[in-house]
Amino acid sequence: MDNLLPFQASILKEIHDPATSELIVLARGLGLRRILCTLMKIYDSPRSLVLLVNASPEEESAIGELLGIMGCRNPGLRIVGYEMGKRDRQDLYRKGGLISVTSRILVVDMLQSDIPTELITGIVMVHGEKVTNLSLEAFIVRLYREKNTSGFLKAFSDQPEHITSGMSPLRSIMKEMQLRKVHIYPRYHEEIKENLDQRRPDLIELATDLTEPMKDIHSAIVQCMITTLAELKRSHSTLDLDDVNIDNAHFRWFDAIVRRQLDPVWHKVGPKTKQLVGDLATLRRLLSYLVTYDALAFHAYLETLVLSNTTNASGNARQNQSPWMLTDAANIIFKTAKRRCYVLTSKHTLASQPEVIDVDDEDAWAALDEAEGFTPQIGTTNGRGTEPKRPRWLPDGIDPVLEELPKWTVLADILQEIEEEIIRQETLTNFKPPTIGSNTVLIMTSSARSAELISEFLSDMDASAPRGRMGKKMMERKLRRYLWWKGRLAADKRGSSSLENTSSQPQGRKQDNGSGQVSEALARKDKSKADRSANRRRLRGGAPTVAPTRTEATRTGTTGTGDDADTIAAFMATQTGTADADAGADIDQDLLMAQMLSQLDTEYDDVFGLVAPEQTVLVRTYADDGDEQVLAELQPRFFIMYEPSTDFLRQIEVYRNSNPGLGVRAYIMTYHNSTEEQKYLTAQRREKEAFERLIRERGSMLLPIYESRQPVGKGHAMIKTISSRAAGGRTELSTAPSQVIVDMREFRSTLPSLLHAAGQLVVPATLTVGDYILTPDICVERKSIPDLVQSFNSGRLYTQCELMSVHYKQPILLIEFEENKSFSLEAISETTKTYAKPSGKYPTKKPAAGASSAAADAGDPRVGPTIQSKLVLLTLHFPRVRIIWSSSPFATADIFADLKMNLPEPDPSKAILVGAEDQGASGSQGGQGDGVNAAAEELLQCLPGINAKNVQYVMGRVGSVRELCDMDRKDVQTLLGVEPGNACYDFMHRGERKKKAVS
Amino acid sequence: MSTAQATRDKPPVVVPGSGNNIIINPNQRLNPLLECIRNVGKQFGEIVPDFQVGRTTCVLYLSLKYHRLHPEYIHARIEKLGHAFNLRILLIMCDVSEHQDPIRELTKTCLINNITIIVAWSLDEAGHYLSTFKQFEHKPPDLIKERAEKDYDSVLRAALTSINKVNKTDVETLRTSVGLTTLCPNGTQSFADIARTPSDQLLALPGFGQVKVRRIKDALERPFKNKA
Repeated sequence: MDNLLPFQASILKEIHDPATSELIVLARGLGLRRILCTLMKIYDSPRSLVLLVNASPEEESAIGELLGIMGCRNPGLRIVGYEMGKRDRQDLYRKGGLISVTSRILVVDMLQSDIPTELITGIVMVHGEKVTNLSLEAFIVRLYREKNTSGFLKAFSDQPEHITSGMSPLRSIMKEMQLRKVHIYPRYHEEIKENLDQRRPDLIELATDLTEPMKDIHSAIVQCMITTLAELKRSHSTLDLDDVNIDNAHFRWFDAIVRRQLDPVWHKVGPKTKQLVGDLATLRRLLSYLVTYDALAFHAYLETLVLSNTTNASGNARQNQSPWMLTDAANIIFKTAKRRCYVLTSKHTLASQPEVIDVDDEDAWAALDEAEGFTPQIGTTNGRGTEPKRPRWLPDGIDPVLEELPKWTVLADILQEIEEEIIRQETLTNFKPPTIGSNTVLIMTSSARSAELISEFLSDMDASAPRGRMGKKMMERKLRRYLWWKGRLAADKRGSSSLENTSSQPQGRKQDNGSGQVSEALARKDKSKADRSANRRRLRGGAPTVAPTRTEATRTGTTGTGDDADTIAAFMATQTGTADADAGADIDQDLLMAQMLSQLDTEYDDVFGLVAPEQTVLVRTYADDGDEQVLAELQPRFFIMYEPSTDFLRQIEVYRNSNPGLGVRAYIMTYHNSTEEQKYLTAQRREKEAFERLIRERGSMLLPIYESRQPVGKGHAMIKTISSRAAGGRTELSTAPSQVIVDMREFRSTLPSLLHAAGQLVVPATLTVGDYILTPDICVERKSIPDLVQSFNSGRLYTQCELMSVHYKQPILLIEFEENKSFSLEAISETTKTYAKPSGKYPTKKPAAGASSAAADAGDPRVGPTIQSKLVLLTLHFPRVRIIWSSSPFATADIFADLKMNLPEPDPSKAILVGAEDQGASGSQGGQGDGVNAAAEELLQCLPGINAKNVQYVMGRVGSVRELCDMDRKDVQTLLGVEPGNACYDFMHRGERKKKAVS
Repeated sequence: MSTAQATRDKPPVVVPGSGNNIIINPNQRLNPLLECIRNVGKQFGEIVPDFQVGRTTCVLYLSLKYHRLHPEYIHARIEKLGHAFNLRILLIMCDVSEHQDPIRELTKTCLINNITIIVAWSLDEAGHYLSTFKQFEHKPPDLIKERAEKDYDSVLRAALTSINKVNKTDVETLRTSVGLTTLCPNGTQSFADIARTPSDQLLALPGFGQVKVRRIKDALERPFKNKA
């Protein structure tokens, strides 16, 4: 397997020496992973301990796999995740070999000396570009170099674009990793160029035009972006947004740039600006979805957008909508997107039929048929006859347009061509079967979604159909699913207004009627009626029982222009029970079928009868370095790049050159004048510029000299702690070094790293109370600004302060602002308006508060309390809680050092026990429960009935959130207590009653 | 700020701490901050701190600009305060750009003297703090406590958006579409249903990529703790 290309081998020769440490920057697609794995294979031995750091879970497993293929499997790469216990980890480290560790775990292990840092042979770090002075990786390097100066550190990066921050980005990265050597290999590196240009793959670029509606939408989106941007510039005239122009709009991090520009004043900007910035991101996403999603999915996504934009958290109409949604251009987007899917016709508007674009004749005829009073024929179940009838499931007044993506047709053409090419080669007189390479056609896409879409299209393709209608079958299936979804969405929307009124009831009746102000008696009557028709209703997927009466209203009201959601919902509701059940079953089948279709190869012979089974078509997504292995395994000769990608193109080059006898042909498909094309070109340009910048910087770089840091505890830093209790005025050095106990969960933040850099000994522990323990009396709870807002809203902060006050003499709330962002709460008062609680509670409270002469809040009472008011309330109720205002983590580290001066050191074993005794089962685990699934914990705390007090207990008893969901009411109650248990169970299973009835 | 000694000899105007007014030390008479205290009564009174905003709550006011010129002033004031009052606030007006060092130093001082620091960045904000202290004097902590009942949608939204990468639109998508892709189309999109949806079906939803789905699955299905 060691068939490296000459340039890869020479890179390896440069870097393989275990005595040197260096940073390697390589252009993407040139086989970084292979080089990395070969390197690791060289080091693999039970006598050495080599750590792979900073790899994502996918990379970990892929690298492990590749190492296995290379013959390094006993035991190969071991992966340490949080599931692995402390003992097991210690064992593993002691045995040596190749180990991949999550940064957070490695830091903790290094701090707790679970890993013999001085014995580490070396560290291989990927994603070197992400290392900053705040990142955990820099912390790792510091801890590593403190105890171990002989081991190597090989850092890799294949994203030069990211090395841009600050004045001398390369130098700051190298400084953090304490490296003195850097190798830079762009694609235009002489040796690489020489190697790869020997044998070039056969490249065919195909530019497809967008369809007219797509062009319209495209330009409308761009128009919306311009509007949004202009709005943004107007509201922030002081801001330097000059270089933010619409040309950059195609560029991937466009909204990120704007965001970064706004960061220093982010807390001062109003919710409106935030919305604008958010809108930019949404619009950019729309641009890319336009060319990747099929017409129906795109339309559905737009509708979800509108829905989530017009209603706020409580389901009421939202105050400030996104401004772009109100523009004419947005109207074009929505209208055209819909027209790509279907057009609404009804008996009244039929006369204006001709304006409909792109409807093929059959559909028009079908519509006409209907207009003349034909009822859709029940007999033809799927509308799949030679003379397509309107499918039975299609509601009246809807004509499917079902525009297809232009690339699909081109794709079909290419496949045809490839097929012919294969046959041509085989019929050549002197044809001998190729020794290497298969006739597999590899189609590469940028997302799993489009891959699935394409495979679905190909499997259902009707090759004989006219261009642009080849995927009709698939599109019709999608339309059907869409309509069904739509019906439910509308039903849901109607139901939600009633939900508001019933939310106080514990059971939360979803089956309520649409109108909220039905009197009690009426409601009862309706209920009995509902019960009688329960049989029908449950088949109907949640459509409100009162729908039929409302239908008339909506019908007459909506003649083509109204909210078609209602129309469709109404249609769904008026369907007879049996037909609907039928439809439901059909959809079931459809879904099953769709699943089966993913096993493409089996289906394939039907479509491409001429191609032998082993010469299949495979659809895959770009997977960076993972692609290389796929190429090596499949050895395809034909590639279709559904979306252009420089990286993959290079991979093809590498593949072509490492398989000399193989003729390779690659088709590259782009949309002409679209974001896709722009993105491709910009990406190429950016990479080139980034490399040039790096090379220039390397040329003029002043190499820093790293002094070897004294391990903490031996330097002068520890003389801080002087015991004044020694007799005779004699001062004496306290033997304990200055230390801070830090909660495990806090290692996600940057503060522990900075504390360590400031000379504190950081002791990781699982704390029940507080985040940082500075002295036996001082306990600190850290809150970043978003945290603060959130935990005020959830009430978590109250509980935390309660706990801290009980257990510590000096509880402290640390409010930490971010470096480079504004140090001010001012604007938060403005933003919290959007977080204001739903009106449900406030009005009832207000009269009482007003009576006691204290007006509920200084501002407009409807706005809700500001963060400042909440802070006031907190201090009033916890007069002992002090507040630290810190402008950045750096400032926090200073303040901590200040506070600790002359005070005794905390005791970790005591700190762990604090508050743990009343936690029951989890308390016993306190010492080593560092493997906590943080995301799950956070989610868990959001559920009703679960709070900061019992979350640990729940996590000790239940395996995962999923498990909690599967428990029955009784068990949840025994876990949480009757009341909270009920609340929790009802939340998790809300709206499931119907299902119970069915099953 | 240290002016207006004239009132010194007069007898106290009111009994401090009773009533619904903020009592202001006459030495604050010229402070523009007074203009910004709204929605609450004000009166001058002979008190040790600068403001008394409740029976047991007092406030010392310090502008960092002033502190830079007279660093000893606040220490004298704190000393004079002694151990009076239960909740002692130092309201800092952050009106300098080099705030890091003074705040650090004041934090230390206040910790020793049992004083809580509040930082304000504008007169309006400071005034808002003062009036809120008075208004909330007897207010129960319900506002910041965990609320038992909340409407379903916002809880669901809060829970799901707590997962990194999931936004409000995604919650809407999950809520409306998950039932559709499960094999029981009549089922609804309860939280438990979402938790049970396999990844490949999540992937099919609009706006969902591999990373997002993995995050969701990590939060929902991976165990809370290791089994050690």
